[in-house]
Amino acid sequence: MKILNRLFAGLMLLIALPAAAEIKVFACEPEWAALAQELGGDKVSVFTATTARQDPHHIEARPSLIARLRQAELLVCTGAELEIDWLPVLLRQAGNARVQPGQPGYFEAANHVRMLEIPARLDRAEGDVHAAGNPHIQTDPRNIGRVATALAQRLGEIDPENTDYYQTRHRDFVQRWEAAIKRWEQQAAPLKGVRIVVQHKGFPYLENWLGLREVAALEPKPGIEPTSAHLTEVLEQLRRQPAKMILRAAYNDGRASEWLAERTKIPAVMLPFTVGGSDKAKDLFGLFDDTVQRLLRALT
Amino acid sequence: MSFDALDLSILGPAFFAGLLVLATHVPLGQQVLARGIVFIDLAIAQIAGLGVIAADALGWEPRGFGVQIAAVGAALAGALLLTFTEKRWPEVQEALIGVLFVLAACGGILLLANNPHGGEHLKDLLVGQILWVSYGQLLPVALLTVVLLVLWFGAGTRLGRIGFYAIFAFAVTASVQLVGIYLVFASLIIPALAGRFHPARRQLIVGYSVGVAGYATGLSASALFDLPSGAVVVCALALIGIVAWALGANRKQNENV
Repeated sequence: MKILNRLFAGLMLLIALPAAAEIKVFACEPEWAALAQELGGDKVSVFTATTARQDPHHIEARPSLIARLRQAELLVCTGAELEIDWLPVLLRQAGNARVQPGQPGYFEAANHVRMLEIPARLDRAEGDVHAAGNPHIQTDPRNIGRVATALAQRLGEIDPENTDYYQTRHRDFVQRWEAAIKRWEQQAAPLKGVRIVVQHKGFPYLENWLGLREVAALEPKPGIEPTSAHLTEVLEQLRRQPAKMILRAAYNDGRASEWLAERTKIPAVMLPFTVGGSDKAKDLFGLFDDTVQRLLRALT
Repeated sequence: MSFDALDLSILGPAFFAGLLVLATHVPLGQQVLARGIVFIDLAIAQIAGLGVIAADALGWEPRGFGVQIAAVGAALAGALLLTFTEKRWPEVQEALIGVLFVLAACGGILLLANNPHGGEHLKDLLVGQILWVSYGQLLPVALLTVVLLVLWFGAGTRLGRIGFYAIFAFAVTASVQLVGIYLVFASLIIPALAGRFHPARRQLIVGYSVGVAGYATGLSASALFDLPSGAVVVCALALIGIVAWALGANRKQNENV
């Protein structure tokens, strides 16, 4: 295997030579892969560890994950314990000193935004609660903007020769992004104060951005499958205080929200949740275009 | 296809984990097949899992030594129970193993009803991910494997029923945490099946060869095609097992003619 290995390593080097200057980015989630690509342009090559159809809390071990992380010069992940099940062990297996926590090559998006739902007390009986707050920060585009600023800075530190390139791309991105946020906020104005039910507590940042009001969650505690008793309780609650829609992420199993939708005649809405979560969410702009459209469609 | 994952330093620990598992499971598997109790490993693994959940419920440090003791203790207790039932009701031993398996599984679910982190421990224990294995983890298992093999091949038939079940409990508890329950089952049963039609003195060699070839091809294929390693190794073991089985069957037929 070793000879074969060397042979192919050599072959790969030949193919990769013209692009050897590219910074290799290992992104844990698709939204950060998309952002790194926006900012890094053709100076970076990005690998994504999870897809939009996967629960980022868990991951199947594949050899390519270790191989890619070993070569990476920059790791971009959500942090806030979202990847705690698999990232520490993956980092250990890869043994790449450049991307270990504390190194410039280790970037946690959650460090650059204001976290919501930080628990006052940590009790494992409360379910899969994260000490640093709710990690699903990418559902608020303003957070993406904040992370973009920090990530452009970090790219410049890793690859000082191209600092100006990253800063220019960042300025261009921010301009387009802020215009888009303004557009989304205008479109989403009717959503303010709308009462919603969520499947997993994955949307506090979206709710905070658009002024949605979460009245119930289908998972009795985060990470615990809906039970029949809890669903009945939610049903009863919705009879007294109706909601307008039931939200779930593309990677959630749809059965619980469909079950509730059928009984309450409230529409169940699947949101892309990250880049690639729906056909229209091809990039970061498409992600929020589609999210806002799906929410508005459920309202009418 | 990607060749950069075909790296010995990535696949090495997983392959050694496979070799350790095979070392004990190939001979154990032949016994299991001969006794007609193929689902015993599922039951023992599940009971070991129950021990871990119980330790977790008691607030013991996860992944610590205490949890290992709890897992082995529970597995040994299960093994003792199965020794007793095999003596008492040999004709329904396999059925009792099945009942024990679902009981242990459901007990775990009930204990975990309100604890998502305990669920992760159980999942770690049952569907352990072979790629995440490190050499440091392999050392204690290697020592245990040597002890078990010396006992197995040294004592032979003097081990008796209790000896067999006790060795089995230790071996499965250790291996299931390294490679997960699917691989444990496959490593136990497929090499034993593959050797069936080969002459008795060669069955062990056939079993070991099938196992080693299965892990080597499976891990390489998982690197080349970027697929979850455990599942690919199970498929590779099955494919190679079928070839070895067919060779043996063919040979036997020729002898009979």
